Amino acid sequence: MSLLEIENLTIEFPNRHGTEVAVDKVSLSVNAGEILGLVGESGAGKSTIGNGIVQLLSKPGRVAAGKVTLNGEVISGLQGESIRKIRGSKIGFIFQDPMTSLNPLFTIENQMVETIINCLGVSYKEALERSIELLTKVGIPEPEVRIKQYPHQFSGGMRQRVVIAIALSGEPDLIIADEPTTALDVSVQDQILKLIQDLCTDLQVGCILVTHDMGVIANVTNRVAVLYRGKLVEIGETKDVLGNPQHPYTQSLISAVPLAGKKVDRFPLVETIESIESGLKSIDVTTHWLGQSSQHHNTDDLLIIKDLNLSFLTQDAFFKKNRKRLQATDNVSFSVKQGESFGLVGESGSGKSTIARMIAGLQQPDSGSIVYDGVELINNPDKEKVKSVRQRLQMIFQNPYSSLNSRMKIKDIIAEPILYHHLAKTNEVEGIVGDLLDHVGLGRKSGVKYPHEFSGGQRQRISIARALATRPRLLICDEPTSALDVSVQAQILNLLKDLQDELGLTMLFISHDLPVIRQMCDRVAIMRQGKILELQQTEDLFEHPKDKYTRELLDLMPRFDDLTHDLNANSHV
Amino acid sequence: MLQFLLKRFLQAIVVMLIISLLSFSIKDKLGDPLREMTGQSVSEAEREVMRDEMGLNDPFLVQYGRFIKDALHGDLGTSYFHKLPTMTVILKKLPATLELTFAASLIIIFLSIPLGVFSAIKPKHWFSKFIMAVSIVGISIPVFLTALALIYIFSVKLGWMPSFGRGETVHLFGYWETNFLTKDGILHIIMPAIALSSIMLPLFIRLVRAEMLEVLSSEYVKFAKAKGLKAGKIYFKHALKNTMLPVITVGGVQIGIMVAYTILTESVFQWPGMGFMFLEAVNRSDIPLIVAYIMFVGFLFVVVNTLVDLLYGVINPTVNLLGKSK
Amino acid sequence: MKKQLGFIGKVSGLLLTSLLVLNPATAKTLKLAYDADPVSLDIHEQLSGGMLQLSHMTHDPLVRWAQDLSFEPRLATSWERTDENTVRFKLREGVKFHSGNTLTAADFKWTFDRLKTSKDFKGIFSNFKALNVIDDNTIDLVTDGPYPLVMHTATYIFPMDSKFYAGKDENGKDKAEIVKDGASYASTHTSGTGPFKVTSREQGVKVVFDRFADYWDKDSKGNVSQVVMTPIKDNQTRVAALLSGDVDFIAPVAPNEFGQIEANDKVQLVTMAGTRVITFQLNQERREEFKDQKVRQAMAYAVNNEGIVQKIMKGFATTASQMSPKGYLGHNESLKPRFNLEKAKQLMSESGYPDGFTVTMMAPNNRYVNDEKIAQAVAAMLSKINIKVDLKTMPKAQYWPEFDKRAADMLMIGWHSDTEDSANFYEFLAMTPNKETGMGAYNSGNYSSKMVDETTMKANKETDDAKRAAMLQSIEKQIYDDAAFIPLHWQNLAWASRKGVNIKPIVNAMNFPYIGDLAID
Repeated sequence: MSLLEIENLTIEFPNRHGTEVAVDKVSLSVNAGEILGLVGESGAGKSTIGNGIVQLLSKPGRVAAGKVTLNGEVISGLQGESIRKIRGSKIGFIFQDPMTSLNPLFTIENQMVETIINCLGVSYKEALERSIELLTKVGIPEPEVRIKQYPHQFSGGMRQRVVIAIALSGEPDLIIADEPTTALDVSVQDQILKLIQDLCTDLQVGCILVTHDMGVIANVTNRVAVLYRGKLVEIGETKDVLGNPQHPYTQSLISAVPLAGKKVDRFPLVETIESIESGLKSIDVTTHWLGQSSQHHNTDDLLIIKDLNLSFLTQDAFFKKNRKRLQATDNVSFSVKQGESFGLVGESGSGKSTIARMIAGLQQPDSGSIVYDGVELINNPDKEKVKSVRQRLQMIFQNPYSSLNSRMKIKDIIAEPILYHHLAKTNEVEGIVGDLLDHVGLGRKSGVKYPHEFSGGQRQRISIARALATRPRLLICDEPTSALDVSVQAQILNLLKDLQDELGLTMLFISHDLPVIRQMCDRVAIMRQGKILELQQTEDLFEHPKDKYTRELLDLMPRFDDLTHDLNANSHV
Repeated sequence: MLQFLLKRFLQAIVVMLIISLLSFSIKDKLGDPLREMTGQSVSEAEREVMRDEMGLNDPFLVQYGRFIKDALHGDLGTSYFHKLPTMTVILKKLPATLELTFAASLIIIFLSIPLGVFSAIKPKHWFSKFIMAVSIVGISIPVFLTALALIYIFSVKLGWMPSFGRGETVHLFGYWETNFLTKDGILHIIMPAIALSSIMLPLFIRLVRAEMLEVLSSEYVKFAKAKGLKAGKIYFKHALKNTMLPVITVGGVQIGIMVAYTILTESVFQWPGMGFMFLEAVNRSDIPLIVAYIMFVGFLFVVVNTLVDLLYGVINPTVNLLGKSK
Repeated sequence: MKKQLGFIGKVSGLLLTSLLVLNPATAKTLKLAYDADPVSLDIHEQLSGGMLQLSHMTHDPLVRWAQDLSFEPRLATSWERTDENTVRFKLREGVKFHSGNTLTAADFKWTFDRLKTSKDFKGIFSNFKALNVIDDNTIDLVTDGPYPLVMHTATYIFPMDSKFYAGKDENGKDKAEIVKDGASYASTHTSGTGPFKVTSREQGVKVVFDRFADYWDKDSKGNVSQVVMTPIKDNQTRVAALLSGDVDFIAPVAPNEFGQIEANDKVQLVTMAGTRVITFQLNQERREEFKDQKVRQAMAYAVNNEGIVQKIMKGFATTASQMSPKGYLGHNESLKPRFNLEKAKQLMSESGYPDGFTVTMMAPNNRYVNDEKIAQAVAAMLSKINIKVDLKTMPKAQYWPEFDKRAADMLMIGWHSDTEDSANFYEFLAMTPNKETGMGAYNSGNYSSKMVDETTMKANKETDDAKRAAMLQSIEKQIYDDAAFIPLHWQNLAWASRKGVNIKPIVNAMNFPYIGDLAID
């Protein structure tokens, strides 16, 4: 008998227009000491299954049918107190973002001890002892000291360890880890996954690992279940599923993952996912408004950055010597050639986004120089000149939703920069906006809708269209696909590639995702703690990394190239 | 900590300097104090002589310079009407206003938190809907109307409550006169406090509700549920404390604003506090008192904000006001 | 049962007797609420209604006005005109100050000299040369020339305790000094001969008066032993305080509140025709049109002041066609309100302005009863004869500087004669403005009539009442015919009290209730 048995689980979300079936007759099982991966894209229902098991579904979701058995005991359909006693004591939970899973106002001690007392009914003293023990187990140094601290005093990785310790504190038989490493840096992700893997083996705890990341699946799971739109399409041993996927969806999903080991020209698309609007008109950029950017200087280096410095005050003090500063960028210099794709890679806090913000003028450096298209952007007295060159430099952000004004129609959002900079006659604007929407694959008809009517990938297309509206020569893409599913990521990356080819765009591509960088960039700079450690041609960097840190990063990159090698070789790309 | 307070102190001085300059620059628009100080048959020539004697005809900078010089010696001028140093008058009126604000704050705190929390936890309950409906109506009724309605119902018709004034007060520490130690004093403060709280209460209920809803949808509340904690513990330990953070920030500012609202409430109830004093000073063109009051209120705002920041720092461990290193 | 009843009877009997012992007819507290409290205890500091109300509580005048506007002896027992320039007063004997000092003729002299230095009072004493002490109980008031208003002015002579104010205070300042813009000994300490002495006072909050045990007027029906005076600024709160029983006596009462008081059988409303006239002045210096008598007349005909009294004042005012109210010597019965729109239109045509013109108007919005509404109504009425009015209203604090600047073509002004005599109206509102003589100080319209100027001055020297009345009434007629300004109404006065607080006999058109004579049932 398995630890957890799920039979024909169906979860529904009733709404005004009817009932949406989020999970459709899914059956699976988890054994003690085993990690089962649940993989799929957004909307596949993978998190819903996890929440449905312990009835933490957000309203109005409900378990409509099916049976969940834990250790032979039926737990589906339990109400109130009975299901509460399952939570924590029998099933532990780990959520995606350790920054938000812990209550910021209480100490770790407070939050751990309350859980232990609640689940095990022991005395405070004993609960405290157990807490320290658990913290030691999950690798928190000096647990006696750190348990007195508040969540904000821990780094992201450490917090996730604390969350794991809390999940374990009720001595559960099963842990449901919902995207436990998505919010973490590559190096930390590796440690946390190893920790979960070891704990499962040592404590003989079963684990459901929900993730969208094929690399994670490949690295730690024993078995994997692939979900597509609420349905289980494939389940089996991880190496079998990844190495020899049976279902066409699994096949195309795997092929869409950017590979760290090899560069391809275009990403294969996942056909079953939201298709691009058919019948798009492509435009001939040589004659179209979009291609007629004014004032082309034929400079070799479009962007030259020299000795850029910026530090943030981390602790204010009345006397200067007591103030503490964080060097966000430390003498950074590099240049980007006309038409090139330049990658900036680093973990969070490495300063890569800060550089982008300084180029875009959102932040002022302490010292250094940024020359774009032959014009100095920093402390240039000719403000008009700076403004006019900056207009040919656009940014695309990670979160496409928050960067779009939710009260404006899409066509107005895109028309705004054209009108603001007087780039076209007023009567032409509507046509241009339509062409842009066609060109990014949304179709001109979508112009009358509002941002919230679009999915994440579509919104990113909108922000690309808006960025193009000023006819920029340089696009700064700051983690443009980090918030997107693999299949959508593939579409967006393809779109960016196409646009670059057609319009001769130069790109500064910022990402923590090494495989993506490999696919997108000609040259790459590796950043850490505000410094550039290594700058090389992409292929050279991936094949022959010089810096120790670069090698570490490459090693830690979750790979499933090996497992899927055959598949990729055979796919028709 | 000391640094933080020092900074705020400097800030208060800058605020008061700016306020004094602004209020000085408009003081000629506040009317002619001589009109209030002399009878109708006193000739304009006589008034002019008095203006000269009082230095009101001096150039702006001379008057302002004199004011600043005196202010540095702790003298913020003498009220024409009260014939006392303005600070003496203000400090004399301060306890009445602070007690009124305090009583109103108590009402707000003890009503808005339970009502806001309840309507967030059970948004579909009829009582929650009732609270929300009433609060919409409440927010749109002017303070003086509430005050008059209270007086009419509870003083005139029912005769339960005194209609005006502070009633019997008790001296504390020689200076502070308090309403809270006699039955008569407490009876007198009830209606003004309700009237004063009425404008802010709906706002606070909505604020508590909105923040609570937001907190309830947060990850850590979900995580707390996943830990198997009981509902009470989740609502009143994990959610409430987080809800209070923004409420304190907004609340601090609102209490500052409430001091301004006391002008209306105090004048209806003839409450002998600073707000009523200010209104009278405006009516009487008692310019030194007007200027001193505005400066004092500016100072009060800085003090309230400082207290709020300190309180915020106590509740929120991520705020490091005290300069402790992490 | 019987036993119990007996017990209760005993107890209540005890209570009754103890009440009678503790509460003799005189032990009554009056809770009084005015709209403002006196600015000072120094009765010479400011000439205002509030200060005179205080003066009649803490002090006594030589003579005072009776309700019928005759003179009632107070500290003077009798008086006679000894020659053209002199009136001799016999003083009451055995009068004590609150300090215990005995009132003497010397105190009168001291008081008179102080009044002559008071910025507010010296104006009304300008015609007086001296107060001469004849003997301990006799004084002479001597004027520069024949002066008809000696008795009027004598109502302002409240003797102060000269010994009490002798010497220096702790700050080394003269105790008698009159200080308007700061504290002084006299503004915080008082000793008068009046029925009440001040026991405690918190400016703007409360003044407590206790009956003066040695008060000379033993015949007074007054039985109030303590007065607690609280200012209540808000009209509605003041009425609510009376209705809820928190206070016994309130003034003023706004016309809007009359209904509430009349509907309640526990309280009473007392109203009386007042003497404050409300007018609009027409600035002839700013507007060429206003120099034309016909235009002014047209405007006077166009304004339905009777309508304003009925609709806006709700009958709480007396329609005015002149400045002198009934009872004043100058009141001219033949002058009637003259609203007649046809006549007004005709006059406009005759004057050559059939299409009218546009004028500016200013009025206060918190000085007189319904001032803003009245101004709006007048503006609307003038539009009927094509005079478009650009109206601006503002709080009184801002209004007076504008008035002093003559900042609009039409300005509202209300006036109450400090001397309770018609000539005061002409001196301030109708005579040609003259900086040197100080005449016409509030004549913002710059109306100028030789007849008015000369007749007023003549009347000020005429001591024969009949002759003087003829002169003053001829002035009213002249002003009426010239349509020097637009008269609206005299504001009525209103007080209200709990029933049993018999305010009716003690109130008067001057609006200083004689609280000392107030009898509570």
